[in-house]
Amino acid sequence: MNQPKPRPLRPPVAELPVSQVVADFERDRRSFLRRRRGRTLIGALVFSVLLLASLHQSQFFNSDIGGDPLGRIGAFLARMNPGLAPDALFLNRATKGSLASWLYDLPLWLRLGWQTVEMATLGTFIGGVGGLGASFLCARNLMPIPFVRFVVRRGLEMIRAVPELILALVLVSAFGVGPLAGIITLAISTMGGLGKLFSEINEEVDPRQLEAMDASGAGLFGKIRYGVVPQVLPNYASYLLLRLEGNLAAAAALGIVGAGGIGIELQRAITYTEFDTYLAILLLMVGLIFVIDIASEAIRHRLIRLGGAQ
Amino acid sequence: MKSQAYERALAAAPLIMRTNWTRRLGYILVLGTVAAALAAMVVDLHIAPGAIFSGFYKLGAFARVAFPPSDGGQLPRILRAMAETFAMAFAGTVLAALAAAPLGVIGAKNVVGQPFAHFIFRRALDWFRGVPSLVWALILVSAFGLGPFGGVIALALADIPRLAKLFSEAIENGDERPMEGVRSAGVSPLMALRYGLAPQVAPVIASQCLFFLESNFRNAAVLGIVGAGGIGFELEERIRVFAFDEATFIIILYMVCVAVLDTLSQRLRAMLA
Repeated sequence: MNQPKPRPLRPPVAELPVSQVVADFERDRRSFLRRRRGRTLIGALVFSVLLLASLHQSQFFNSDIGGDPLGRIGAFLARMNPGLAPDALFLNRATKGSLASWLYDLPLWLRLGWQTVEMATLGTFIGGVGGLGASFLCARNLMPIPFVRFVVRRGLEMIRAVPELILALVLVSAFGVGPLAGIITLAISTMGGLGKLFSEINEEVDPRQLEAMDASGAGLFGKIRYGVVPQVLPNYASYLLLRLEGNLAAAAALGIVGAGGIGIELQRAITYTEFDTYLAILLLMVGLIFVIDIASEAIRHRLIRLGGAQ
Repeated sequence: MKSQAYERALAAAPLIMRTNWTRRLGYILVLGTVAAALAAMVVDLHIAPGAIFSGFYKLGAFARVAFPPSDGGQLPRILRAMAETFAMAFAGTVLAALAAAPLGVIGAKNVVGQPFAHFIFRRALDWFRGVPSLVWALILVSAFGLGPFGGVIALALADIPRLAKLFSEAIENGDERPMEGVRSAGVSPLMALRYGLAPQVAPVIASQCLFFLESNFRNAAVLGIVGAGGIGFELEERIRVFAFDEATFIIILYMVCVAVLDTLSQRLRAMLA
């Protein structure tokens, strides 16, 4: 794209005077720079128009509460401050500024946090089983019927295209408020995500072991059980754990629409404008996600080494 | 016939042919523990089979209402909400990139050569990477009032630690030699970053920002549920009043928009690479 257009015929370079060559070069370079500058300018123009329109559209400068976005952020941070007093830190709940009055409902939050972990685990497990089934149906080397592969693949794609929370909204109105809706939401979206990843793993298995299975007259199940699963189990487990980490964060957010777990308590803190409580639950959630991440990362590294050793 | 072959195989490789009971017992034990743990979770969450059946029955009823999709005569309003969602995603991504750029430079090993500071900084970013944007949006909307402004900040807050990590990795992967060359010409450290590093890193960063724009368009659609405006708000309204035909219309339109944005951004990223 940056190369100059071919020129009309002219004498070979050696016959040209040096000044002529330099002048040609300078002219080419000028036109190249001009074109590049033009492109940059157009790009910058489109970008700034989009940005200005976006900022205007999202009421960045004239919100109903008045302008001054930075001041508002400061005020909101100040309201989140629990106001811990160093001398009253370990006093009882009734004292303002003590840890006990800030974390006044800690046992409930821990229980809901555990509920979130349970939701994420069950959702990941059920979704993983569903994804496993779907992955065999859409792997090129295991499913001989193209039509089935096509349908399953498109189905998984459609599941992935719908955001989890919108799915949760629909499922909460069908299954009622509570963890069941959350589990089913996570299971469905996990199935969409893992089904695709698993089928890609399936397609990369060593074909010779499948041929050996065919040669010994094994059926589809025998092929999967003895030809595929031993090769791919560490990879499956590693993806499953990775998905579990993501699902834990998702499960925490799902509670906000009523699908169970710690998110419900977040929503309650907001409704009662207890911003310092919100901060406490937020920190608890971040800690929870962090612990699970570290644990699952340790297991995944062991699994990867296991897979490498085979 | 079969038993003869079996005897021969057993004689040749007794360890493989004989059932390994300790190993099998180990498998059963692990599987049993997992199954018991999962069952305990189901019991702990008070999940009743009746609720599952009635839920699926209701879902079926929803699905019958959902087709054919209809725009309910409010197409202009829906399109405006879609534009608002895109605006939120765009503004949020730009803000996040602006804030993450200096953080990314500070977090890069080859710019700030202080291992302890580097470790602390990375851990702090890790700590906040897990917080979903919806959780930020919930409090920001109640702090700033209903409307897209809180959504923009929420998207930016959720993206800053993620982008900063990617930026610092991009910077660490940059080639040292151009930097050295520029430095040897005797310029200030800032100029060395500008002419030695920025030309290498800019395309990588730009393509990551485009990638985040795509994902933010999805996230922004969800933020409306907690009151941050945009298409999520319209969708939530329709679902709350069981107007599933309109909800289906919005979801289909939204999927089309996502596909268009993804294609455009893929083109742009291919041009950058």
